[in-house]
Amino acid sequence: MYINENSKVIVQGITGKQGMFHTQIMLNYGTKIVAGVTPGKGGQEVYGVPVFNNVKEAIQETSADTSIVFVPARFTLSAAMESLNAGINMTCIITENVPVFDMIQLVEKAKEKGLFLIGPNCPGMLIPDKIKLGIMPSDMCHYGDVSVISKSGTLSYEITKAIGNSGIGVSAYVGIGGDPVRGITMQEAVAYYSEDPNTKIIVLIGEIGSNEEEKTAELIKNNVSKPVIAYIAGKSAPEGKRMGHAGAIISGDVGTAKGKIKALKDAGVLIANTPWDVPHVIKEIL
Amino acid sequence: MLEYESKEIFSKFDIPLVKNILILRGEDIEDKVKGFSFPAIVKSQIAIGSRKKAGLIKIAQTQEGAVSLCREFFSRNVAGFTVEAIIIEELAKIDQEYYCSIALDASERQFYLIASKEGGIDIEEVSKERPEAIIKLNFSYSMGLTENIARAAATQLGLSGTSLQLGINIFLKLWEIAKKLEAQLVEINPLVMTPSGLIAVDGKMILDDDAAFRQPIIQNLQERKLNELEKLAKKVGFSFVELSGEIGILANGAGLTMALLDVLSDLGLQPANFLDVGGGASKERVYKALELIFKLQPKTVLVNIFGGITRCDIVAQAIIQALKDFSDAPPMVIRLTGTNEKEGIALLKEANMDAFKDVMDAVKKIKEVLSE
Repeated sequence: MYINENSKVIVQGITGKQGMFHTQIMLNYGTKIVAGVTPGKGGQEVYGVPVFNNVKEAIQETSADTSIVFVPARFTLSAAMESLNAGINMTCIITENVPVFDMIQLVEKAKEKGLFLIGPNCPGMLIPDKIKLGIMPSDMCHYGDVSVISKSGTLSYEITKAIGNSGIGVSAYVGIGGDPVRGITMQEAVAYYSEDPNTKIIVLIGEIGSNEEEKTAELIKNNVSKPVIAYIAGKSAPEGKRMGHAGAIISGDVGTAKGKIKALKDAGVLIANTPWDVPHVIKEIL
Repeated sequence: MLEYESKEIFSKFDIPLVKNILILRGEDIEDKVKGFSFPAIVKSQIAIGSRKKAGLIKIAQTQEGAVSLCREFFSRNVAGFTVEAIIIEELAKIDQEYYCSIALDASERQFYLIASKEGGIDIEEVSKERPEAIIKLNFSYSMGLTENIARAAATQLGLSGTSLQLGINIFLKLWEIAKKLEAQLVEINPLVMTPSGLIAVDGKMILDDDAAFRQPIIQNLQERKLNELEKLAKKVGFSFVELSGEIGILANGAGLTMALLDVLSDLGLQPANFLDVGGGASKERVYKALELIFKLQPKTVLVNIFGGITRCDIVAQAIIQALKDFSDAPPMVIRLTGTNEKEGIALLKEANMDAFKDVMDAVKKIKEVLSE
């Protein structure tokens, strides 16, 4: 299980500007934030949340099982590693610009321990009206039965809000981030929500770069019976230029939107031509 | 990274190289080539794809020939790039060419030792057309490249006797380089067998920009591939790519910006740039972004903001300020939605400007503006 309304959350880097700001918003949303961690600042409080020096102490005092990481990129490896070593079930890394080799080590550790890691450089996860573990807008949508899985941030907000505005509810919003090496992959998220009893339809938001959408298409073809709708950004992107996200780059004919759309179509996925078409395509299925 | 920089690293890690001299721009060419034996190959160090095609790699028969080639190369300018340095290299006596690299497969989250008996080739093409010609052995970061894996690859390459150990050593060194410099690719292509053993003839590396804070070597390399405006954008911290169209774009979110470009292209409208102003942009930042876009001299500018942590009223203030300061600014079409959109739209109204709430309406308006 990734997270649910009973998840007990630690904010790592709670005394920093970003950590503090989003702690307040998550608390307002109803997220059970039970502890903060900032080395050397144990004993303080942030919005009534007790701060500890390390994750282990925080778990002992609060039985936390989930962590969200807001520390600067150069400290992310040690912060997230601490969380994994302490046995936290879900570690969510919001921080951007985390070095690739740091992520490799974190991903290997998470695998070895059988724990979940999401991010880096991601908006986090949201189960509407239940729990917000991230920095996405709070008012995008209400609870329902469509899960949204996305590599990008703002684009997925726009799409999720359009879904919400059209009266469709969302069972989970998962922003996996656009970095080349990350925790939960698109395939893993799709596999998870294809088994999730609360999800009836999966919306996939992809973009140019890597071959993850192609791999996900293969998985969908063989293992997913729920309807899947996809929007892929970057049809007009030039080759060899990094379009904002670290992973969003076409090299040769690898990573093109055309290739991804073809693979997904072949797997029976319905393609939305623009972000704003997604709710219409969902309604066609319903 | 240019060939000579890769080679400097190879040489630091004791990977055998062809005998060569390096001449940096501004150095005394005659003095440098003195005593080197010719014929030799003269290779420009420049950040473009095909140096051979551009006539920037040639063979010099004599010392004098090499000097004049160097002068010619240093005077060349290809697609805005100049030759930074020149390598002059002995012509290696080649018995056999190989390919070898350590590459990170980001989606598999594994490393691969890749080797082939077909050196000097485009490895991606060979792997598509004849995957059986390529040896690919995987390993994890924590395990690292072991001697056993390196031995297996070297044996499969057909190396034996003293060459076998040389091959193994080179593979292990590639991993040492990858690990130390946080490289996602360290490639020798071709690696050649000469009468005096295995030698690296050309090499390539891909490093991680995000590791620049602890890898000083990366900092100089980052800027090389960018044009002037892209460099300027980088200083301010925008993601910016110059394109060839006539519609300036200011948007937020990389994915959303890409989606907007796609919508325009589908309608036959050509964007002049990709610009993601970033999350939570200040008035100054948005202003600077507009200033940058105006430099492209687009026919019109499309602003598309989905306010999350970015506030629509701040974006509106920046737009109003920029239009005041730049009397020759092109007509702008604005779409604002999200945080503080009411305040933003009200501000624009006061300044006699409209803002759309729906993207498609804004795009339609762009079409109108362009046909006027």
